[in-house]
Amino acid sequence: MIAALAVGMGAATAAQADGVIILNSEEASYSIVSRTARTELGRQPLGREPHHMIVTPDGKEILIASTVTNELVALDAKTGEKKRVVRDIIDPYQLGYSPNGAWFVTAAYRLDHIDVYHGDSFKLASRIFMDGMPSHMAFDAESKTVFVTLQQSGRVTAIDLGTQLIKWNAEIGKAPAGAVMLPDNKRLLVALTGEDAIVTMDASNGAVIGRLQTGRGAHNFWPKGDGRHWFLSNRVEGTVSLIDTAEMKVVGSVRIPGGPDCMDITPDGKELWVTQRFLRRVAIVDIAQMKVIGSVHVGKSPHGVFILRGTGSGLPPPPSPLRAASIEGDRK
Amino acid sequence: MRDLIDLWIGIQTWLFETFVSPVLFHFNLMEWFEPGFNAVEIFMLGVVQITIIVLGMRMLERRWPLEADGDERLVGVDRVYTILSKLGIVPLIVFIVAYPITTQVELLVRTWGFVPPRLERLVPWLYDNALASFLVYFALYDFAAYWVHRAQHRFSWWWALHSLHHSQRRMTVWSDDRNHILDDLLVTIVLVVFAQFVGVQPDDYILILVIGRLIESWSHANVDMSFGRIGQKLIVGPRFHRLHHALAGPDETHIHDHNFAPVLPIWDILFGTAIYDGKHRPTGVSDPAIDADNGRSWPAQQVTVFGRFVRALAPRFSRSSVQPGLRPPAE
Repeated sequence: MIAALAVGMGAATAAQADGVIILNSEEASYSIVSRTARTELGRQPLGREPHHMIVTPDGKEILIASTVTNELVALDAKTGEKKRVVRDIIDPYQLGYSPNGAWFVTAAYRLDHIDVYHGDSFKLASRIFMDGMPSHMAFDAESKTVFVTLQQSGRVTAIDLGTQLIKWNAEIGKAPAGAVMLPDNKRLLVALTGEDAIVTMDASNGAVIGRLQTGRGAHNFWPKGDGRHWFLSNRVEGTVSLIDTAEMKVVGSVRIPGGPDCMDITPDGKELWVTQRFLRRVAIVDIAQMKVIGSVHVGKSPHGVFILRGTGSGLPPPPSPLRAASIEGDRK
Repeated sequence: MRDLIDLWIGIQTWLFETFVSPVLFHFNLMEWFEPGFNAVEIFMLGVVQITIIVLGMRMLERRWPLEADGDERLVGVDRVYTILSKLGIVPLIVFIVAYPITTQVELLVRTWGFVPPRLERLVPWLYDNALASFLVYFALYDFAAYWVHRAQHRFSWWWALHSLHHSQRRMTVWSDDRNHILDDLLVTIVLVVFAQFVGVQPDDYILILVIGRLIESWSHANVDMSFGRIGQKLIVGPRFHRLHHALAGPDETHIHDHNFAPVLPIWDILFGTAIYDGKHRPTGVSDPAIDADNGRSWPAQQVTVFGRFVRALAPRFSRSSVQPGLRPPAE
């Protein structure tokens, strides 16, 4: 409340072409930040516990999951203006579209279920109850399988989207969180937040085929955009690692204190924006130098971050295996 | 303001990353990462409250006491209660027990498709007025706390627990936190569920608790001060609340069934339980079994009061009113 007063919730919050949307998960609001001015323009109320967001397959809307109010709030992907509310999506902590847009999946972190909806109508196809706090998700390139991490039980489960049956369910380590399917459509990377590493899994059967030490509290991925490198936030250590997935090694690191979590990259590919949950800030990293060049005050416990692409071509960028992977698996 | 918030968050983050986060990581309790961070804030707010009590309220108690005489030895145990409560030790225990219960209630109704409403949906104007929104939620929470307090006096089994709070003969600023841990648990469960159902945000909830409990500490203070004719109708002060702790006499057998409000006297005024007569009365409980709490240590009080609670629930277990083998009262 104090922070809200300090910013002035009633202030005009005109959406900006260069805006960045930040979800203040413990403040029931989202911040609109000017990317160029690096300052918060305003704060808007939104549901309760908004954690994550995703772009719709047509690139026109951003769907923000308001976890406790069981709804999705749609913003215009170019301007950030509110457009509509989709109700009766139960506990949508995490959300994602299959690359072909046919399926929309949510992970109910507190209610322990995974919901598979038809992507064009939000009609529930199946609710799969899974003990262990379903957390993050990734899809295969053919839109046949969704992989969901189960943070409490230390497992990853693969669900056939067509039949909504479980294909495999594998134990991989402590507190698995972020997941990403690599462009080869064979290897699945999963971050272990209860450890200091990520593991590589065989997406066909759930076997762990590799392990890479990164930093304590390895949590979430974001693609650099070249099809080879991925950023990884390490929440406990307070760093972001740059991972070369061809060599499977850490090739860069930058200190981001305050529980770094979700990330996004500016359209020019030069800046990485990282939410700092504890510090109520978003850090801005110069990617070429892997160095923090600024930070912006936002609301309490900022989680999801999304950089609007303005009035240009809109979102998402031209489809490619890489971008498909990033959109499907990393808007979290 | 922003610099102050940054300083506060910086200290909170340092404490968390230095002392709490490594423990959570070591024991693979990462689902408690965010709650752990918030717990650090509660600890810090407790330090601030204790500082205000020691440097501010205690000074006023010494300067303008309502009761000049009294056995100061009785106050020691209340300091223990305050330290355990304000620094988050009792709340942590209560949280560990209450969290699964309140969460199950919340999840159950959400599974049924019921979404806890938020006032802002009914009154959209509140969305743009953070202060007004906070005050409305504060008043609602206080309203619920008023009725919980009446229930504590209404039901004999709950009074068996709550009477510990009333048994203090030397009421001071330290007395507010003098509660049986089971009493704290019951109150917490009811009020958390209420807060969830009316849509109090986590951030506001912490602030409501901190401000409310600080005012309640003040209302227990042994200070002869008033907020004035109008002010005393707006906010609970020491004179108003002292009547609620008054020792019952032959002519006033239910005097403590008045002035229940935690912070806002309006509830007592509206529901006919307010008394503003300006009389000074001694505090405590006339029942010798309850009065025997005085002089006991924190563990002894917790044990004997629990026994009182069990006997109230199951009268057939009743024995003599004063427990043998425990320290006698100080006086």
